[in-house]
Amino acid sequence: MENRLRVLRAERRWSQAELADRLGVSRQTINAIETGKYDPSLPLAFSLARMFEMKIEEIFFPNVA
Amino acid sequence: MNSSLFTPRDRRNYQVFSIWLTAAMVTFAGATILIDGGFVPAPLGWTLTALSVALMAGSIRSYILFLRVADELLRKVHLEALAFAFGAGIVAMMGYRLCERLGAPKLDINDGALVMLLCWVGGQLVGARRYAVAEEQ
Repeated sequence: MENRLRVLRAERRWSQAELADRLGVSRQTINAIETGKYDPSLPLAFSLARMFEMKIEEIFFPNVA
Repeated sequence: MNSSLFTPRDRRNYQVFSIWLTAAMVTFAGATILIDGGFVPAPLGWTLTALSVALMAGSIRSYILFLRVADELLRKVHLEALAFAFGAGIVAMMGYRLCERLGAPKLDINDGALVMLLCWVGGQLVGARRYAVAEEQ
């Protein structure tokens, strides 16, 4: 799964720690999602979508391989 | 373990679990020494045993409560560490049973538990390292 989290976060000038605090998760979780090491759960994906006022599929999309 | 995997809530819950676990281990070790050395009468020995088991049960409960509300990446790391510890413990105990049949010295069942405990801690360290963050990006 790929995502645009880093770009969206940078557009809002939020640090990883700030986004993590807003979502109630650890900074390492945000970092792992951004680097593609970890795919978030559906509830966390919905929380991210709500945070950025977007649809989940506008943030996350499958690998095109 | 890298503490940035922990949210403040996770850190608090893990501290509670650590207190339970430490109390259980100290009581277990103390009871073992006192009972093996014949320093306590049987009724007190049974009481210490019951206390030790009760504290271990409390440890399990506090760990489950910690896992239920833990940050999802932290929970993944801990569940993988538990799976690794369980598998390694089974393999170590079954493997060593064969070694005993071939003449290796007999080991106590607590040694199997020690293998599980060490693998659980090692699994957490490996998991934390896998998702380590060097700097703010």
